[in-house]
Amino acid sequence: MTIREKGYAHWDGQLKERRFPWAPITWLGIRLAFKKKAFRGLFFGSLLYAFGSLVLIFISERIEDFQYMFKGNKQILEVNPAYFKTYLSSDFLLFMMVMLLVIGGAGLISDDLKHNSLQLYFARPLKKMGYLIGKANVIAFFLLLLTLVPGLLFIVFKLLFAGNFSFLAAYPWLPLSVIGYSLFVTGFFCAYTLLLSSLSKNRRYVSILIFAVYLFSNILFGFFYENYKKPVYALLSLNANIQQVSAWFFRLKPAYAVPWYWSLLILLAFGIAASLVLNRKVRGVEVVR
Amino acid sequence: MIAEISDLQFSYGPIKALDGISLILSDGAVGLLGPNGAGKSTLLRILLGFLAPQHGRGRVLGYDIRLEQSSIRRHVGYMPEDDCLIPGMDAVTFTAHFGELSGMPRQEAMKRAHDVLFYVGLGESRYRLLETYSAGMKQRLKLAQAIVHDPRLLFLDEPTSNLDPQGRKEILELILDISSKKDIQVLISSHILTDIESVCSDVVILNKGRLAAQGKLSELRELQYRLYEIRIKGEGEGFTAKIRALGCRVEETEDKLLKVYVPADMDIREIFRTAEEEKSQVRHFVRSRTSLEDLFARVVGVD
Repeated sequence: MTIREKGYAHWDGQLKERRFPWAPITWLGIRLAFKKKAFRGLFFGSLLYAFGSLVLIFISERIEDFQYMFKGNKQILEVNPAYFKTYLSSDFLLFMMVMLLVIGGAGLISDDLKHNSLQLYFARPLKKMGYLIGKANVIAFFLLLLTLVPGLLFIVFKLLFAGNFSFLAAYPWLPLSVIGYSLFVTGFFCAYTLLLSSLSKNRRYVSILIFAVYLFSNILFGFFYENYKKPVYALLSLNANIQQVSAWFFRLKPAYAVPWYWSLLILLAFGIAASLVLNRKVRGVEVVR
Repeated sequence: MIAEISDLQFSYGPIKALDGISLILSDGAVGLLGPNGAGKSTLLRILLGFLAPQHGRGRVLGYDIRLEQSSIRRHVGYMPEDDCLIPGMDAVTFTAHFGELSGMPRQEAMKRAHDVLFYVGLGESRYRLLETYSAGMKQRLKLAQAIVHDPRLLFLDEPTSNLDPQGRKEILELILDISSKKDIQVLISSHILTDIESVCSDVVILNKGRLAAQGKLSELRELQYRLYEIRIKGEGEGFTAKIRALGCRVEETEDKLLKVYVPADMDIREIFRTAEEEKSQVRHFVRSRTSLEDLFARVVGVD
């Protein structure tokens, strides 16, 4: 291989201070995630659920035309805050979100640790917080496309299909609930993924960990709840905790007789643990050994 | 001037990594040498703005190492020792990504990535996945990402490690080209003294957190000592002991050749007087060209 096939020329532009120094990290992460076939499949598969829910909203407005399909089951077509809560915190959607994290989020930090790329990032005018925001935004981008965007579109389409604003007049706080819950659950999953991704240099271990912690917490809850019938065991399950908090966001009664703020505290604890661990694991000082 | 530091001190707990280092790094290529634990890495960390010194002050490219770390990193290129990559990427995307992070507009970074990849000899393989690169190609890639934003100063940490002789030669040619013709200052930390010797005009030698030697390589060779190769008839143990007592450092090769490092202020005739006193016959007396290895051994005090 010959060297200097072309000479080196100075760049005549000027290096600028970016307003969002993390933006290149986010866009690169999104591009790399979309390169994976499995990720694309899962992501669009998850969107099908949103599409199905949208179709149900349409049917709810044309219930007379579809009566033969829903004999005696009209209540499932009642579009109210519970409908939104059911979509946004459904077991299916949460499971798909976890699977997206398994495939697309596990390597976010672990790959950088394994391939020593942290030192390249921090040799740039980039702070630790910028790096973490860039990585977290990759997760946030996809999760918000599955939660916030469909949630708001449901409201818009409900109004369009109804042809009036009576739905919004009945639940004026609903858009805020959708935004608040979507941001909360996305923030939780960002912290959850980045925390686990920073624990190992092996992306496969991290993938297993992301899936196993979520699944194991549900199994543990199921085991204790079935045997002892105490709702407090819901606090063991990530899924159940998210359900409890989502009920508060949508002004509904929580599924388990445990204060919703206990669940909130448990989920927030992941955020605190993530900030402590990430602060230790992601170090710019490792630039030079 | 690349950098100027004054009375720099840094400790890791009770261990003093840098102990009052003051130096001025002049333009061109500067070699940073020292045994393990000498403080090279700590000095580089401080110059890159990763560690704040506990005492002392300094400037890199005119930017304060305590207050303007971000500006330092914007104008400095860094080529680390370890293999660094982002899996699933090709070289163009990788190099452009770090150009963007340095503050280049996206399209400019992409254009520039192509240029520098051609420059370092990765033009043909710029669309290959990085995981498939050989050790030599990864080394070139690290150099490409370090120069993509056209830095004014390059920090190269062991740039020729893990390379075969041909790869090493080519990387050194590139570094020499960058430092001598492209108006980019280069600071190279390396254990391979011949690399430093072939590329750098100046050296900084650290030992136990202190500055052991600094300056132009050619001047240091002259100032620090003179090296003579002496062969004497017979055992000559008394002769060796006596010239050691005079302040010379003596190394004996396998074929009984004595390499004698004579202090700058010592009269060379002392050696002949000693030989006469010891009744040793000097058969061979040649002034040797001193290598960086000799200088390093002398100032650091190791063989």
